Amino acid sequence: MSSRQVDTSGFGAYAGPVLRNEAGSFIFEIADHHLNGDDRLHGGMMMTLASVVLGTVAKETAAGKSEGATVRPLSLNCDFVSAGEKGDTVEGSANVTRATRTVLFISGELRVGPRILMTATGVYAIKGTDEK
Amino acid sequence: MRTPIPSPVTVEPPQGWTLSPLHDPFEAHVGPLFEREEDGERIFGFFADKRHLDDRGAVHEGMLMTFADAFLGTTAHRGSNGKGCVTVSLQASFLAEAKAGDFIECRTHIDRTTRAIIFVSARFSVGEEDVMTATSLWKVLGER
Repeated sequence: MSSRQVDTSGFGAYAGPVLRNEAGSFIFEIADHHLNGDDRLHGGMMMTLASVVLGTVAKETAAGKSEGATVRPLSLNCDFVSAGEKGDTVEGSANVTRATRTVLFISGELRVGPRILMTATGVYAIKGTDEK
Repeated sequence: MRTPIPSPVTVEPPQGWTLSPLHDPFEAHVGPLFEREEDGERIFGFFADKRHLDDRGAVHEGMLMTFADAFLGTTAHRGSNGKGCVTVSLQASFLAEAKAGDFIECRTHIDRTTRAIIFVSARFSVGEEDVMTATSLWKVLGER
């Protein structure tokens, strides 16, 4: 299945790559430089991955409501359910819980196979093209 | 003492700050990170550069949360009298955007310590402006 890279920004690319397959799932391979001192996926990298997954879904939702609209994160809550190991392929997904005119509520999860690594919820402000 | 892992770029610390010794590969990857003493507490900082930015030119929330995980963890570790701690939950509120060139500082606070769980909060600022607040829960390994 073909996939494309998402969040190619400075940090998205530097910490990634995070890919997205044709089914819409986010895919991330844990490499050496993503680890903590115990050879597990670093908590900061896991939250970065959650921020990319939730942020990409938020961005798409905003753009779908109003062309050119973008989002800014207001809050992100990450629960560390289990650890990721070197060599694991992490799969991420996120859904829109509610979309108001100005705010998006997104929830998502990261898993390795059937095992959940992280559950996350985020709140995003929608910024239209006419706003600063 | 283990030898710290070097960061891929060299950045001079601001006056009075020293390099944080980093032992987690991902922290070294995003570093260098700095620290100093302030009123008997250790505070932490880093210079945002183009590696740390999102697609709008602000510091990426993932970088801010990585910085938070590193040093709220350091504080939790001290709160547990040196026992190993792992992140259970971390919540961040993004108050304002930080930009490339900003020096972002982190001041942590232990809110409560139980045998098995440590509650740590932190404030992140650029100059006088707060850019993020975080609250977190840490599990002390081997305790219940």
